Amino acid sequence: MATDMIKIAGVSKVYDTTQRGRHVALGDISIDIAEGQFVSILGPSGCGKSTLLYILGGFVEATTGQVLVNGQKVTGPGPDRGPVFQEFALFPWKTVLGNVMYGPLQQGLSKEAATARARELLVLVHLQNYEGFYPKELSGGMKQRVALARTLAYGPKILLMDEPFGALDAYTRTRLQNELLDIWGRDRKTVMFVTHSVEEAVFLSDRVFVMTKSPGHIRKVFDIDLPRPRVRAELLLDRRYQDYVIAIERLMDEQIEEIA
Amino acid sequence: MSALHAVWRRNISETLAGALPIVLALGIWYVISAWNFAPASLLPSPVTVFRRFLVLLGDPQFLQNAGATLYRLFVGFGIAVMLGIGIGILAAGNRTVAALMQPVIRVLAPVPKIALYPALVLMFGFDHSSKIALVVADALFPILLATYQGAVAVDPKLVWSARAAGASQTRCLFTIVLTAALPSILTGARIGLIIACIVVFLAEMILSTDGLGQLLVRAARNFQTVDMFVPIIAISMLGLLLNAAFNMLSKRLLVGFPSQN
Repeated sequence: MATDMIKIAGVSKVYDTTQRGRHVALGDISIDIAEGQFVSILGPSGCGKSTLLYILGGFVEATTGQVLVNGQKVTGPGPDRGPVFQEFALFPWKTVLGNVMYGPLQQGLSKEAATARARELLVLVHLQNYEGFYPKELSGGMKQRVALARTLAYGPKILLMDEPFGALDAYTRTRLQNELLDIWGRDRKTVMFVTHSVEEAVFLSDRVFVMTKSPGHIRKVFDIDLPRPRVRAELLLDRRYQDYVIAIERLMDEQIEEIA
Repeated sequence: MSALHAVWRRNISETLAGALPIVLALGIWYVISAWNFAPASLLPSPVTVFRRFLVLLGDPQFLQNAGATLYRLFVGFGIAVMLGIGIGILAAGNRTVAALMQPVIRVLAPVPKIALYPALVLMFGFDHSSKIALVVADALFPILLATYQGAVAVDPKLVWSARAAGASQTRCLFTIVLTAALPSILTGARIGLIIACIVVFLAEMILSTDGLGQLLVRAARNFQTVDMFVPIIAISMLGLLLNAAFNMLSKRLLVGFPSQN
């Protein structure tokens, strides 16, 4: 296995709220992720899985512990880690092309080079015919494709995906999962994927970290030993896939009982 | 084509509906003066006033006074916009600036700025500067507050997306946050513009040697009631034109944003 791309060591996050006092969002999290791995963080809402992603992105500061990316301590956002959010977070005043060009322009590319780069990515996400559209004119699935293209455009080594398909309908969601695996298969970026869907996590990932609620910590790690490229229809009949899903579902049921 | 047609028709009917109360008010005014409820020497007919207004539009002296008012209005509003947006954005991006500004704003915002006008005249003199200063003082706060509120409410994920792409914090503030807050900023600016119209007129009425407000006061003192109403018509026409210009500008600036109305 390659060297660890991401080292999360003893990270916790405590929020000081005025109404409820100290709220421990994240317990003591330690995770190592190898380069090129597709890793999912799975957990119920409110378990702090998104917070963990934000800390890795450098958007939120950890209360304790540290995050190393390629041996470098994370102190803030950087183009080596590209986020994709559930809410898309596209710039509403920019066209599709303008959104995707943003990163390359920030990286110092000329306008022509940035346009060329953005067009390449729009082809990759099948939106080459929509470059003049504004985000509000697109469907949810298309918006998320633009968001993915915008992030890929500045060439991050790590993708941080925060329930990216959570707001989409089942059909679009499945299509985008396939497209994401397709894109990932080309250059094998390291991906940290936050979701609350067990099937999605098993289908996409090399490893699945199951988290528990308040304070959020890692309950169990599953190494998903399924061949790639993965085809959904085949996997559904695959005993190993079913076993992973059932095992994780059981684990999450236990948690619900413990809380109840 | 038919959809466009429907939009046009809706626009026209909305405009007509909006014009109705104004037409009604003018009608009442006309009836009151025509039926001599009030003597024409005190309340002239709207027809007389509008006719006089059209005549005065060709009078260089009237135009000079209107020009003085316009100049004060635009310079004052322009400075208020720049200061309001600048300070509002800085306060949203920097906690120290916010901490410094908040008490100042809380103390100054409720002060009736017109009360400062005599002091401003003593400081800046009788000319443009004192009126401009008053317009700035009054129009500044709605713009500043709207900018600050709008900037603070910007989705942090928009900023994170830009920061991850390589934009610095300062760059983000003046490109992403400022642009994302535009709908709110424009609402503040619209209120600021209305206030500016009112205040420049008031200042000229209180203490001035020229301007539309001064024309009104002078006419009133001389019992020239027709000339007294003309500046009011002029300022309300001006407000109408400015509002239309503002709407056009807003539409251009807010392209891509969810529609406002």
